[in-house]
Order: sequence, then C-alpha cells, then structure tokens
Amino acid sequence: MHPAVSVILFTVSSGAGFGLILMAVALSLMGWVPGMGPGHTLVAILIGSVLATIGLLSSTAHLANPKNAWRAFFRFRSSWLSREGVFAVLFYPTVLVYLISLWLARDTGSLAWWGVLFGILTGLLALATVFCTGMIYASLRTIPQWNSALVPANYLLLAISSGTVILTLIAAIQGIELNVLSGLALVLLVIAGLAKLLYYIWIGKPQGPTLNTAMGITRAKIKILESGQSSRSFLNKEFSNQVPAQTVKQMRWVVYLAGFVIPAILMLIVLQTSMMVLTALAVLLLLGGLAIERWLFFVEARHVVNVFYGQ
Amino acid sequence: MKLGLVIDMDTCVGCHACVVSCKQWNTSGTLGALTDYEPYGKEPNGVAFNRVRSYEVDEYPNNKTVNMPMSCMHCETAECVTVCPTGASYKREEDGIVLVDQDKCMGCNLCSWACPYGARELDQASGTMKKCTLCVDRIYDTELPEAERQPACVLTCPSKARHFGDFDDPDSNVSVLVRERNGLQSMPELGYNPVNHYLPPRPKPNAPTHNGGQLEPLTDRFKKWLNKVVVR
Amino acid sequence: MSNRKTRPGASASASAMAAVAETMPAFEDHSKQEKHYTTCYMCACRCGIEVTVENNQVRFIKGNPNHPVNQGVLCAKGNAGIMKQNSPAKLRKPLMRKAGTERGAGEFEEVEWDDALAMLTERLRHIRETDPKKLAFFTGRDQMQALTGLWAQQFGTINWAAHGGFCSVNMAAAGLYSIGQSFWEFGDPDWERTKYFMLWGVAEDHASNPIKLGIEKIKKRGAKFVAVNPVRTGYQAVADEWVPIKPGTDAMLALSMCHVLLSRDLIDWGFLGRYTNAPFLVINHPGHSDDGLIARDEEGNPLVWDQGKNAPTNGMAPGAEASMFGEYSLPDGRQTKTVMTLIAEQYLDERYAPEKAAEVCGLDADTIERLALEMAHVAFKETIEIECEWTDWAGRKHDKFIGRPVSMHAMRGISAHSNGFQTCRALHLLQVLLGTIDVPGGHRAKAPFPRHTPPPIKPAKEMAPNTPLKSPPLGFPTSPEDLVVDDQGKPMRIDKAYSWEAPIANHGLMHMVITNAVNGDPYPIDTLILFMANMAWNSTMNTSQVRDMLREKDESGEYKLPFLVVVDAFHSETVNFADLVLPDTTYLERYDTISMLDRPISEPDSACDAIRSPVLKPDRDVRAWQEVMVDLAGRLGFPAFVDDDGKPKFSGYTDFIARWEKAPGIGFLAGWRGKEGEKSMRGEPNEKQWDKYIENQGFFQHHLPEHMRFYRHVNRDYLAWAKEVGFNPSDAPIIMELYSEVLQKFRLAGQGLYDGPLPPDDIDKERLVQYFDPLPHYYLPLEEQRVDPQEYPFHAINQRPMHMYHSWDSQNNWLRQITAQNFLFMNRAKGESLGIADESWVWVESHNGRVRVQVKLMEGCQPDTVWTWNAIGKQSGAWGLDKDAPEARKGFLMNHLISELLPKMDGNDDHERRLTNSDPITGQAAWYDLKVKITPASSDEAGTSWPQFDTMKPLPGAQPSPDQVRYSTHEPVRLKRSLMDIIKRKSL
Repeated sequence: MHPAVSVILFTVSSGAGFGLILMAVALSLMGWVPGMGPGHTLVAILIGSVLATIGLLSSTAHLANPKNAWRAFFRFRSSWLSREGVFAVLFYPTVLVYLISLWLARDTGSLAWWGVLFGILTGLLALATVFCTGMIYASLRTIPQWNSALVPANYLLLAISSGTVILTLIAAIQGIELNVLSGLALVLLVIAGLAKLLYYIWIGKPQGPTLNTAMGITRAKIKILESGQSSRSFLNKEFSNQVPAQTVKQMRWVVYLAGFVIPAILMLIVLQTSMMVLTALAVLLLLGGLAIERWLFFVEARHVVNVFYGQ
Repeated sequence: MKLGLVIDMDTCVGCHACVVSCKQWNTSGTLGALTDYEPYGKEPNGVAFNRVRSYEVDEYPNNKTVNMPMSCMHCETAECVTVCPTGASYKREEDGIVLVDQDKCMGCNLCSWACPYGARELDQASGTMKKCTLCVDRIYDTELPEAERQPACVLTCPSKARHFGDFDDPDSNVSVLVRERNGLQSMPELGYNPVNHYLPPRPKPNAPTHNGGQLEPLTDRFKKWLNKVVVR
Repeated sequence: MSNRKTRPGASASASAMAAVAETMPAFEDHSKQEKHYTTCYMCACRCGIEVTVENNQVRFIKGNPNHPVNQGVLCAKGNAGIMKQNSPAKLRKPLMRKAGTERGAGEFEEVEWDDALAMLTERLRHIRETDPKKLAFFTGRDQMQALTGLWAQQFGTINWAAHGGFCSVNMAAAGLYSIGQSFWEFGDPDWERTKYFMLWGVAEDHASNPIKLGIEKIKKRGAKFVAVNPVRTGYQAVADEWVPIKPGTDAMLALSMCHVLLSRDLIDWGFLGRYTNAPFLVINHPGHSDDGLIARDEEGNPLVWDQGKNAPTNGMAPGAEASMFGEYSLPDGRQTKTVMTLIAEQYLDERYAPEKAAEVCGLDADTIERLALEMAHVAFKETIEIECEWTDWAGRKHDKFIGRPVSMHAMRGISAHSNGFQTCRALHLLQVLLGTIDVPGGHRAKAPFPRHTPPPIKPAKEMAPNTPLKSPPLGFPTSPEDLVVDDQGKPMRIDKAYSWEAPIANHGLMHMVITNAVNGDPYPIDTLILFMANMAWNSTMNTSQVRDMLREKDESGEYKLPFLVVVDAFHSETVNFADLVLPDTTYLERYDTISMLDRPISEPDSACDAIRSPVLKPDRDVRAWQEVMVDLAGRLGFPAFVDDDGKPKFSGYTDFIARWEKAPGIGFLAGWRGKEGEKSMRGEPNEKQWDKYIENQGFFQHHLPEHMRFYRHVNRDYLAWAKEVGFNPSDAPIIMELYSEVLQKFRLAGQGLYDGPLPPDDIDKERLVQYFDPLPHYYLPLEEQRVDPQEYPFHAINQRPMHMYHSWDSQNNWLRQITAQNFLFMNRAKGESLGIADESWVWVESHNGRVRVQVKLMEGCQPDTVWTWNAIGKQSGAWGLDKDAPEARKGFLMNHLISELLPKMDGNDDHERRLTNSDPITGQAAWYDLKVKITPASSDEAGTSWPQFDTMKPLPGAQPSPDQVRYSTHEPVRLKRSLMDIIKRKSL
C-alpha cells in the first residue's frame, strides 16, 4: 500500500492523543497516580485532545473531495470509517463537558458525579475511536496483512503505550511522582512490543490469493506478460510501492529500537531516576518510531490487486 | 435481476478493444469525464473502468498466453459498498449494479482499498471515485435499438469474448454459458461472490490423424501413380 | 435493422429490464445527436462505423452491425478515433521550409493553399513537359491506389507505387501467380465451415476484426486452431497448438508437410487434375530455350497426356483423360514430364523429410508429420458437401459443392522474408494438394478474385513528355520482355522494380526510393511526393542513414533529392524533412472510396465496396488529398481530367468519382449505378450515387447467388459474371499454377537460354537460376546467407500490438496509455543463460548498426528469436508528444539495424553492385531476415535508448499539447442515491 503521510500522521497522532486521554481518564479516576489532581488531568486531556485533533484534521487532507466529508457519518451501520468519524465527533462535546468538570474541580480536587460520568464516556469514546481506526484496516479482506484481530489490538496497544509515555512526560513537567506512570509505560511498551512482534511473525508467512486463484488455473506457474498500461495508474500508485525489501528489514529494526526497546529502557531508567530529559527523549523516539511503524504498516501491506500485476 | 458479464478467456485475444470502447463511451457518460493525466507526456495514464492484462501460464515450450480483462464484478458481497462512509457507493436493488453517486463521494479511497479486483479508480480532477457502471446509461436507454442496449465493451468485442446478461435468470445467455463452460469466479476464496464470471480456456479439440497409404519406396509409389488419370 | 444475436437475456429479464428502464433518467439527449455511417481508417481494415456526433464533437464511434467487414464489432484503434480527431499533432495549414534553413531542421512558415498549389503546379508542369520520370510519387498506407495510380499514369511517370513493396507483396504476388487469389483482401478462410485452421506468421494484424470474429467462430465450433509463429502473443494466445518456428523457415515446414502427404498418398487428385496445371506436360530439354516450359499445341494450349488416346492433347479441352504422372515423348521427339511428376520428385526427396525439416525449423519431426496428418484427416475424412446445382467451365452440371474444411491464413511473418514469395507459394501448394481452394470449409476467394494467374496487365514502360502512360505503372510481368529495363538491361524505375534485381515487383520497392534517388542510381529525380508514409522514421529501413540522405547535397550545394513534398494529417518525423507540407484531413472529415478497383473489402459471398463521407467539418485550413489530386490533375491538364477545351472536367473528388469510368459502366463505386441507381456492379454513372451510399450506411454489398459461391476458378456462371462486371477480361477457367512457367522463363534467362532479353550482370544471372524455381522451394534468407551465424545468433523480428496494428496512432492519448515504450522480448531461459536480466538494458547489433534497448524476458518466444513492438519509438517532439515521452527516450526502432542493402559478400571488391535487401523475385522488403547479437549495456548506459535524435521544433501556429484531457460531449446526467436509502439500508 502507498504510505500516505497524512494517514501516518493521523493514526500516530490521534492514536497517541486518544491513548493519552484514555490513560489520563483511567488513572485519574482510579487515583492510581499519587499527586495527580484534576488540574493535572485537565492539562493531559487538553494535550491529548490537541494531538487527536491534529490527527483528525490531517486525515481529512487525504480526502480528494473534502466538501463531502460531512456525509461520512451516514453509513454508521456498515462502515468502520463512518463509525470512527461518529465516535471522533461525539468525543468533542463529551470531552468538553469533562474538561469543564475538571476545571471546576481543579481547586477542590473532587470531581462531580457528572464529571466522573463524562470522564468515563470520554475514555470510552477515545477507546472506540482508536478501535474503529484499527477495524478500518482489519476489516479489509483485500489486504491479508491487515485482515486480523492483531491489527486493532496493535492500534489499541500502541495508542495506550504511547499515550502513557506522553502522560509520563506531562507528569514529569508537572512535577508529579513518575514511578507508577513510568512503570506502567514500561509494562505497556513491552506488551505492545510483543504484540507487534507477533504481528511481524504472522505477516511473515505467505498468505492471500494468487494468480492461480485469480484465473482459476489450479496448477502451473503464471507470470505477467503485459500489464496493459504504459505508466503507473491509480491502482499502482495507491496499492503498490517500490520500497526495497532491504529497507523494510532495516526499518523494522528502527521501529523496534525507537518504538519499543529504547523507550522501554528509558522508562526503566526514569523509573529509577525520574529524569525529565529522558522522558522527553522517550516521547520523541517513540513518536518517531511509531511514524515509521505506521509507514511500515502500509509498506508491508500487500493489496490483492498486486497479484494481477504479478507482484 | 443480477446483471453482470461473462468473459471468455478462451477467445479473448487481448486486443484492448473493450478497454478503449469503455473509455470512449464513459468519458461522456453518467459519471462525467474520465480524466487523462499527461496524455502526451512522460507518464500517460488515466481513469479506466476496464483493463486487460496478459499472462503466461507454464514455461516454454508448454507455455500458453492467457488474456484477462478486468472491470467491476458487481459482487454480491460488495465490500466496497460496506466500507463506504458516505453512502456514495451502493449496490442497486433492482439490478445489482454497483455505482458511485458522484455527488456524495468524498474521495477517501477506502472503497478502492476494499476492492480486490482493482475496479475502482479515483479521478483526481473530480476528486471522486469512478468505476464501471455496466453502462447503466446504455442498457436502459430505450431509444437505442434493443440489441445495442448492452455495455459498450460487450458490443465492441471483436472476438465475442464478452457477454452481458441477468444471472438471476437461469435461461439467460450468461447463466447458460456459465453452466455449460464451467464459468468461474476470480479469487472465490475472498468471499466477495463476484457476479461476473470467467470462462476458462476450452480443452484442446481432439484432432485425429489420417495416416493414409503405406509408406512405400519411391519407385513403387511412382509405379502406382503412373496409372492415375483425371478427366479434365 | 439489427441482426445481432446476443441478447441481454431471456424474455424474463427483458421485461424486468424494461420495467427498470422506466425509472431511469434520459442519459443521452438523442435529439441533439446525429448518427453518421462511414468507414474507419484507424488501420487498413476498413470497418463500417456509426459515428454519433453531438455539439460538433464525436460522442461515440461504434461498429456498424450491418457492415460486412466487422459486423458491428470494433477494435481498440477504431474505438480511439476520438483521440485521433483531437490529436494536438494535427497539421493546420500548408507549410514551406523557411528559406535559408536546412532541410530537416524543422523551420517552417505557413503558406496559403493557392500559393502552395500554384508553386507545386509550376514545378510539376515543368517536370511533365521535360522528363516525367523526374517525379516520383509514393504513397504509404493509403487506400486510394486506384486514384493515385491513375494520377501517376496521367502524369506520365512510371515512378509510382504504394507501400505494398515493403508490406505484403510476397503474399499478393505468390497468390496471384499461383491460385489467382491470396490472403486477406483476396480470400478468407471459410470461417463458417472450416474444421481446421492454420495461421502462419500472422503478427496481430492483417486483418484485424475479421480474423478475431473468425477465430471466435471456429473455437466455438470446436475446430482446431494451430498457430505457426515464433512468438506467442495476440491470436497465438488462443491457439489450440502453438508451433514456435524459427523465422524464415516456414517454406521448409510447409513443403515437409507436402512430403508427408505425398508419401502417404493423401492428395486430392481430382482437384489437382481438374483445376491446376498438375497434369500439364513440362518439356525436359536441358540446355535449350524450351527447357522447363509447358508443352503447348499450335494454338498455345497446354498439353496433357491423354491416357485413353495415348497421345498428347489440349489440356484445356474438356474430357481429356489426363495422366497425372509419367514421362512422355512429344511427336517432335521432345521429352516431357507431367508437373505432378516434378512435384513428387522434388518433395518426396529426403531433404524435405520431417527429420530434415525439423532441424531447419527448430521443431520436432513428429509434430510436422502429425500436423500434416491431422489436416489430411479433416480434408479427407471430414469432407463436407453442400447440395447445390452448379455448372463448371466445360458446361458440366454438378449437384453439390465438395468441401475439404482445412483453411489457412498467412501474412507478414511469411511475406517479410527474402524467401517469402516461394514460402507463400509453398503454402498454396499445401492448400491445393489438400483440395482446399475456394471450396466449402477451405480458403475462399473474395471479389474481384479469383483472377487469372496472373492478371493480364503489364507494367508501363514507355514514357513521353506531356503524355499519359499507356498502362498503369504497376502490372504483372510474365516474361523477361515485360521487365521495365532499358536496352542495356538497366532499371528504368527509380525503385528498380521490374528490373532483373526484382522482376516481379508488383507493388514497387518503396523502401529503395530515397536511397536510389539520392545516389542517382539509376538516375536523379527532381521531386518526390510522399503521401502518408513515414519514410524518415518507422517506414524506412536504415532510418538514421536515410535521414542523412535526405539532407545530402551535391557539389553545388543543392539537395541531391531536390524537392520533397509530404502530404500527411499529422506532424510526423517525415513532415519535418519536407520542403512543402500539404496538410490532409482526418478520416472523419472527408470523402473517400473503398473501391473494388483498389484494395477491395468484399466477402466470400458478396462483392462489396464502401465510402467515407465527412462527419465533421475541419477546423483548420486543410484539404483532403483526393481533392488536391483532382485539383492538380485539372491544373496540369491531364487528359482524363480536362474537357476538350482543356478546362478541368470535375468540380472535385466526389464529382470525379461519380462520373469517371474506367470502362463503360465501370467506376470506382459499384453500387447504385445506372441513371436511376437501379444497376449494380456495372451501369452508367449516377449523379446521386453518393447520396445512395450515404442513405445505405456507406457501403454496398452485392450478394452472389448460391451457385456462384464456390469453385469460382472453374464456375461457369461466376466466370461469365466476373467478365461482365469487369473483374476479368476473359471468362476462361482460372488454372492454378503449381508449376510456374513464368518463373521458369526468368530462370532460363538466368541460364542464358531464354529466347529474349537476358540479364547483363552475373549476379542477376545467379539469382535467377537460384531462386526462380518454378516449383516452390525453401532457401536460406539472403541476409542470413551473408552474415556469420556465430556472430549474429538471433533472429530479430517485430510486430505491432493489436491496439496499434497498421495504424498511425502512437500519439493517440488513449492508445499510448496502453503502450508507450517497446521492449526487446526474448525467451526467458535463453536470456537468463546469457546473464540478461528482465528489464535490463542491452545493445542489439546487426551488420548495419546497433541500438540500445530494454529487455523483457518471456516464455512464448522461440529461443533463437528476439522481437519488439514496431513503430512505438518516436523522434523527440514528433506527433505532439512531450520531448521526454517514453516513445522518444525509452522506445526504439529496430529499423536502424535493418539495411536496405544486403551486406557485401565477404572478400568482394568495392565495385560490387549493392543489392536490395528484398525478395529476389518480388522486391518485397526483407524486414524479418535480420540477424543480431545481444550484449548487456553498462549500468551508466541503462535508462535511455540509443540512438537519440534532436527534439523536433513545434510547427508554426501549433498549440502546446495539454497536460490533462477531460473529454466529454455533454454534462453528465447522474443517477442519485437517496438519503433515505443511505440511512435505511442495513449492509449492502
């Protein structure tokens, strides 16, 4: 698949933003992070909302006819993209109410019952939106590398792990104790990393239709002779890329190091030292690593149409 | 009705008549112009509803060349419709034709991602997704002679490798062809249940030999022939 | 009106469709659309088209279902007519090379038609008054040879021909000298009835739609389709059996199959004995002038040996009991053998045994034998009979037509070799041995064929100032006396057609014209008019050097070819070299005739012709070349074009067509003749003839009665009718010449035995002896005889993709989206064994030059063969294309590798006369004789083809080509999905 920058930015940024929101809501409601009051949560939710919004706005950049974007809410019944849009839009009034409740509670420290309710709703909508994003891809039978429960699982895990690392940085800036957050981030990074590893192992085996099933010729080797087009058409531009296998391999290392291993080590150090600089470094590395992870997610996805081009 | 095409891989010679005929009809058709990019430039390409590719099956000297035209299969399980967020993509209840309402499409490309057959192409100029309409603007045009109410690709096909009809009707030409020639679906394992079917290459016809007279030495043969007379 | 059988379904769905139709909007406003019927010209197939016009633009071009050629279907090119009409490369106004600029620099200025024609008229008038042969007029892929030929004849120059000399003259000539018809326009497989079809050397071409229609019919019927071709693309793709033959060896394959049939006595003796010259007696008199000629009586009738009378008798007398075999003494003591004896002796020889042929052809012997025996089975065990009373030439009644349903078609893979004439004769021999000519299920003639073998027309030779030629410039020589050579035996035509170097060059040698004219060999000329021929690019051999020749000057600084007039509709590479450019219209903007006097479009069951009539008005200052020719003919005072006062007789082309008669009652168009349009085929001119054609969808079809549809070479009623309507001057039966006495006469001349003109040069003598075998034979193509097979191991051939076959349309927006770069294809295993990777760049080198190209490996390619799509490569800036278009930067022409002259013989001195790279009999350009070697290109050479040429300059007034095209003739009428439906529907 063609890795569109707008879609990479969208999924990484909104994923991290919603993950941050989800974790901030959950941790603050549970009160698991010592010293984390509504004021702190407010900042985290605001930052999360900004990240999510950057992502969502960026996603509209890949629409060829954005004037009809408002129609995207009509097919909630069948389309994961529509559902994603609906949840994303519902998120805003919900988070606004929640933010107000946090604002009102910033001095007292105690959230009104409706604040709790809208906090939960906000978290659920963030979760649902990220899940829908994953399902947009996972529902496509045309792309065997995506057509798996591992995909929404990955989207969710990457969202909450990246959200947690960012939350750790926010906490560090706010001067809150980082042990729980960095510890949680570490655990989530390890789980997300393992899930991603599982995904990479899973897509390693050949799968999906072949020219034989495309043409109903059971045996015999089939090769393309003429593609019937002299230049790359929409189909090639959208569904194939010319990234060498070597680069893909190298990029997987980058994903692992920048997206999981180094941030996890940094979180481990932060757990010991609470050094803000390292937390910031972890966020930067992680977001960069995830951008490459998302790029690879597209690059390694092999749309069935390529079969007809002998690829 | 379940309208669609049967494409005969036994007689398709890969001439691209259907490709260009489709382009010609539809560029002034119901979806609006099919844009050509760099028409006289370095990378000429453009929106097409139908493409023909050629394949080589097996290796020299047992190789066979097979041509495979592909356009929208008007699938029964049209995932392109399922994924469409705006409802611009839809499958008509009357005849099963899958269409894109150009006034509602937002150009998100997701339907093209959901299509295994490469049937959908985004028109960059209009920003909307375009695809085979099964010439909905020909087949119902009662001002055309009845025999011409067929998709342009079918009308033009010089080796009569394309057939249009109603798969719901067991007696239609397409149903009969699929039955008699073991018509098949492309990539059935994906479960899209494409309406269009392909007819596989026919088995080689049986060609017996006539071994004639005995192989005789030349002189004997000439002796026999010496008496051969034909009345002018 | 419609007769298409395919219906969208049974009646159940028809009513369902009708119900849905009522809910549909009117997508097309038919009241604003007009339908015109005319003839396609996107290639040479001449299909009938229905053109729908809306707002002065073409809405849709569709095949005409009633038209005999295409029966409603249309190929990719025909469907791309809109983009031809909208090509940015269209010429807009006459152009003159700018004074003081060099030819080929592409500096032009626009001129008015009046000035251009006045200037041209003066130049031509002077030539015509002094030395008419100083005008050479050669036309490319036109379909108006009857008119251009007449024009040249009236001008008085013998230097006229069309493109047949570099296309398929071998097929036409071999057919007309053997069976009185040939392939494509001359005859077709009986698609309706044939049970076995063998396709020889047909790249995806000649013809286009009729072959595709035919293939579908035979496959549907379960007939076997065998394709003999080194490459498996196009029609070969759907063949039941592919025979990957080595290029140039088809004669060996065909004759080896003859060997198999003879050795097993699988011969249609009746057919041979009655309809061919197989029983004729051939004089065996070595060393004498009558050796190898047919023994004849005093009236010139051929003799056969009558078994009953045990004496020679007139072979043309009905009832003679002709012996097929044997040696007989004539009363004067001369020895003779029957033709059939010679045939048996020649082909039963071991050199034609399948084992031997297998080595030559790169096939296995079992395959060769099996194919022959399969055909024999169909011919003799699956015979068909059609009940029908008919009368033969001798007045004998027959109650049925017997058919041997084996058919063949062959084209450029046979013809474009220097052994193509004999190869095509070998195919005809095979067809005749099986008794398949003009029989049900076999190979059927199409009007005006069959004609006599050959037709009694001789090429013009005498010329005088201001005087028309006595006969057409092209004809059919039957003996050395008919050659167009001077008293010293030197060529008289600029292309050296009908000289000792190419005695039966029935279509001329267009590929030699520029070379010969620039070399002044046989003489310099003044003006060359080229119509629709890209002779500075893909239609010439040796492109780079020919382009240099066009720029060559003599000591005085004058161009060696002083004046070049190019007539074309588009900005081609050749237009760039013109001194005067006359812009033609497109095919949708003009009147035209597709005449039986020209290249016919008849069907086996009907005689047909057709017209073009304008669908659109030109939006530029262009004129149809036909109009310009009629205009020039009037200005120059050609006798056939002026009245007694010397005033132009015709107001224009349509007037000329309607009123001109070749013979009383015979004109260009055969339909609606007679004062009231009541006569077909022959009748007085009819003023309303054009209107009648337009009313009748642009074509005329005269159906032959059933009893005149087969065995036409001996069918009395047919022969009488053919004479009456002017096809043939005589109603004598048409005898198929398995043994060609014509060739033997030339061979005798080569031996120095002929009682008449003899060739002065040894090389010609040698060639006549070697190649003019009166029986078909196989020989190694001439270039192969002269290049080292070790050094140049590959055969290199080319073909055109179906979507560009025979067309001018590499610039077509829609078609170049399919193909814009040609590759060199080679066998995958072979390529890999040489370390050549798929899509890598290589050098291809011949004795004449080299090109750098990109390779594609494939399975369906004979391992000793490489090939490419021809004429995709373009000069940068030509045809309205971007200077960096793939056609210019990555595409290539194989033409650079092919010399118009044969390589010199090893060790010969510089005085060796250079011979044309053509068939030694017909002068057919031997494009496919090419041998090459292939070496990988270095990595810094990869990416661009070589040679590259300067970018052509845009013409004055030319608009830049658009970056985007959004063609539409009306605002779309859209179907809308309701919001309710969007919200309510559950899933789909």
